[in-house]
Amino acid sequence: MATTTAAAEAPGSVTKRLSNELMTLMMSSSPGISAFPKSDSNLFDWAGTIEGPTGTIYEGLAFRMSISFPSNYPYAAPTIKFDTPCYHPNVDLATGAICLDILQDKWSAVYSVQTVLLSLQSLLGEPNNASPLNTDAANTWSSPKEYKERLMKNYRPLNDDKPPAGKKI
Amino acid sequence: MATDALRAQVAAKWQESFNRLNRSEPGITGLMSFSEAWNIAIEALRPKDLSISPTDTTSSLQRWNAVKPSKQQVRNAFALVNQCRKLPHLLEVFLEEMRKKQPLITREVIMYMESYESTNDVQIVTKLIGRLVEWYEAWMPNPELGLGPIPTTTYTASFHTFLFSILPPTFSAGFKALVETTIRSPPHTFSHLWPIFESLGLIDRYETLIASVGYEFIEAHVKETCQQRWGQPLLPQLRTWMADTVVPWMLSPYARGAKNVDEAKVMMQGVGSRFDFHMHKTLCDLRTSEIFGIIVDYPDSTGALQDLKECMNRVDQRSDLVHALRQTNKRRLLHPGADTKDILAQYVSTIKCLRVIDPPGVLLYKVADPIRRYLRERPDTIRCIVASLVGDGESGDSLVDDNEPIQPLQQPDVENYTDPEWNPEPIDAGPDFRANKPSDVISTLVSIYDSKDLFIKELQVLLAQRLLAVTDGNYDRERRNVEILKIRFGEPALQVCEVMLKDMDDSRRTDQHVQSQKTSDMHPTIISRHFWPTLETSDLKMPGQFKALQERYAKEYSVFKPDKYLKWLPNLGRVHLELELEDRTVDADVPPLEAAFIELFSEKDVWAVDDLMSKVGTVPRSAALKALGTWVDLHVLTEDSEGVFRLLNVTEDTGARAPVPRPGAEEELPSIMSVQQQQAEQMKVYWKFVEGMLTNLGALSLDRIQTMLKIAPGYDRTIEQLAGFMEAARREGHVSVKDGMWKLAR
Repeated sequence: MATTTAAAEAPGSVTKRLSNELMTLMMSSSPGISAFPKSDSNLFDWAGTIEGPTGTIYEGLAFRMSISFPSNYPYAAPTIKFDTPCYHPNVDLATGAICLDILQDKWSAVYSVQTVLLSLQSLLGEPNNASPLNTDAANTWSSPKEYKERLMKNYRPLNDDKPPAGKKI
Repeated sequence: MATDALRAQVAAKWQESFNRLNRSEPGITGLMSFSEAWNIAIEALRPKDLSISPTDTTSSLQRWNAVKPSKQQVRNAFALVNQCRKLPHLLEVFLEEMRKKQPLITREVIMYMESYESTNDVQIVTKLIGRLVEWYEAWMPNPELGLGPIPTTTYTASFHTFLFSILPPTFSAGFKALVETTIRSPPHTFSHLWPIFESLGLIDRYETLIASVGYEFIEAHVKETCQQRWGQPLLPQLRTWMADTVVPWMLSPYARGAKNVDEAKVMMQGVGSRFDFHMHKTLCDLRTSEIFGIIVDYPDSTGALQDLKECMNRVDQRSDLVHALRQTNKRRLLHPGADTKDILAQYVSTIKCLRVIDPPGVLLYKVADPIRRYLRERPDTIRCIVASLVGDGESGDSLVDDNEPIQPLQQPDVENYTDPEWNPEPIDAGPDFRANKPSDVISTLVSIYDSKDLFIKELQVLLAQRLLAVTDGNYDRERRNVEILKIRFGEPALQVCEVMLKDMDDSRRTDQHVQSQKTSDMHPTIISRHFWPTLETSDLKMPGQFKALQERYAKEYSVFKPDKYLKWLPNLGRVHLELELEDRTVDADVPPLEAAFIELFSEKDVWAVDDLMSKVGTVPRSAALKALGTWVDLHVLTEDSEGVFRLLNVTEDTGARAPVPRPGAEEELPSIMSVQQQQAEQMKVYWKFVEGMLTNLGALSLDRIQTMLKIAPGYDRTIEQLAGFMEAARREGHVSVKDGMWKLAR
């Protein structure tokens, strides 16, 4: 490259960090979490998959999510949202937005895709009902049977054969 | 109704004819003398029946004999007929007479041919021809009669036509046999026959047949003298034979009527060059059909190659040769039953042979292509080539000629058009023909693969194996090999090998140092992990005193080299043991696992296999049983019950079982992962990526997977390799494919 500026260098190092994270994620066998870039040309846009932790109400369900990294990653948190509708106190059922402290003000550069995904996985089983995005879910949490019913009503299983259909509210 | 005019015309004609015959003689005396002359002439020409012997000649002949006219009379008679312009008429009458007598000849021909058909005796054909010529001569108008050439020609043509119309088809076979006899006999034995053939018109009629006899004769001779004889060039010999045998024979049919040598030469030029060409072609065909064997026998078949080269110049059968060789190669060489080493050897011979025949290398290029493609698919090709590169002389027949100077690998260079010696590519060179200048064999072999990196990698593996196999600390051979290879591949490529060699030296020095600090029974080889091929690791943990030894050594080492850390590969070691038992000592040189087990037996005398295994880390059960078996064979252990072993402190008579040498129980070479295994190892990494993308992105096409894998560091597989890999994963049930879309099997 003819001109090497700080700005030009930054994406290079981010790309490197991201591919390192990908390598780590691929080689570590963390059960139930996985993520991969959506295309080989853009490492900043990933798709992720979280399986509900065993022993929780989410057991046996898998959720697809999109992860997009900012250009100043890892100094800023990635933006993560659920693509699969997720009935959860800390998840916006309509947009898939997530309310998790480490994805907002508590983000630190030491976190990685893997740690974030693990946090999200544990969040599924242990919601923070104090600051709900989905008050309905927060209220129903105490009655598992009703909760499960609503969860399943909104849940849409992953279908590999067809691209995810447009969101229904 | 005849009109007056017509009548007058007829009368005039009549008068004219009369005048011509009567020749203004008085009265009709002219007419009378003509009539007499006519009779004499007719009788003189009358075809005689040869089957009737002169003694019992009867009737008219006799009568005429009685008043046989003198020669002069006959000649006068003919002159008179001629004068009256009745000669054509006379000829017609004569030919008509001949036609009437033809059955005489027909009868004889049928008789002779029947006898030939039943006996196949060429003599009968000879007799028949002799008889025919008698007829021919007997009926021929006597040239002395001064009739000019026309009657003779007409007669001959008519006789020939008749003759060919009655000769049965079997005659050509008989005649051919006869001609064959003439060619097989010494020259001039049958030279008297040819004029006869000529007068009967047989030469012209059976020209092709005669030529084919010549061709067949040449073919038979070439086959007989040259088949399977490849040592000497046989062409000169064949040429002499042609000059001595075929040419004299050719003189009779082809140079008949030549007045002197020069004329004969001119007449034989055409047919001579045809025969010469045929001789070359036959030899060429023969050699082409034998080419595989010739190549196998190289260099003992150089003579045949020389011949073939000369023939190729004369006969353009290059494509036939290529075709034949490719066919045989496909049938006899390029199949799973052939050893890679043999294929390589044959390939090398092919290179050398075809260079003899065709120095520019077009033939070679065409023949070599399938061999190279096939070799590329074989997994052990590189290994074989590399083994021959370093002169794995044990097998004896190294691919490389020792006399060939070692030279750097040749790169295809750009053609130098300013070179005054420059020649265009041969006319039958394909578009992708690379004018490879005569290069050495190794360069050609290495060029089977697109890059030499593969070779370098395999070389490293091979060198690692050999270095680790050396027990006496003498690495001169390997050093020499590396030096040779440096010349071939260039220094930078061999850098890793250099480091490996240096490691061996350094190990010895380090060991000396460590030993000087604190003597130890252990002499490890310390290798730089980064530069060595992946060595087979195992989780073998050495128990007891071995462990203590290792730890002590490691401590000393870390004092010597504080920045380094020793990672033990005990499974690659070798242990010399002296077992002191109650009644005997056993001396043994064993692999580490055996040593580890016997060490455990010093703790207690009876062990179960499973307990033993749990003490030494993770080893496969089969390996453990094999190790224990070694001790059983040495009568140190005995297997009391299934999987339970007991130490024999005192020798027990376990029957007359001699220690059975276990075939292949000892590993000859340290286990180093071959390049293939390493690749498989790498593929495991890529599988994780495939798994990751299929989990998150859903079903993907093979193309997409290939593209996405570019994200994975160092991914360099082709899509074909990936397809093979995915197919393997599918068979193992990890993925499924539908309409070209791959997805994880759930």
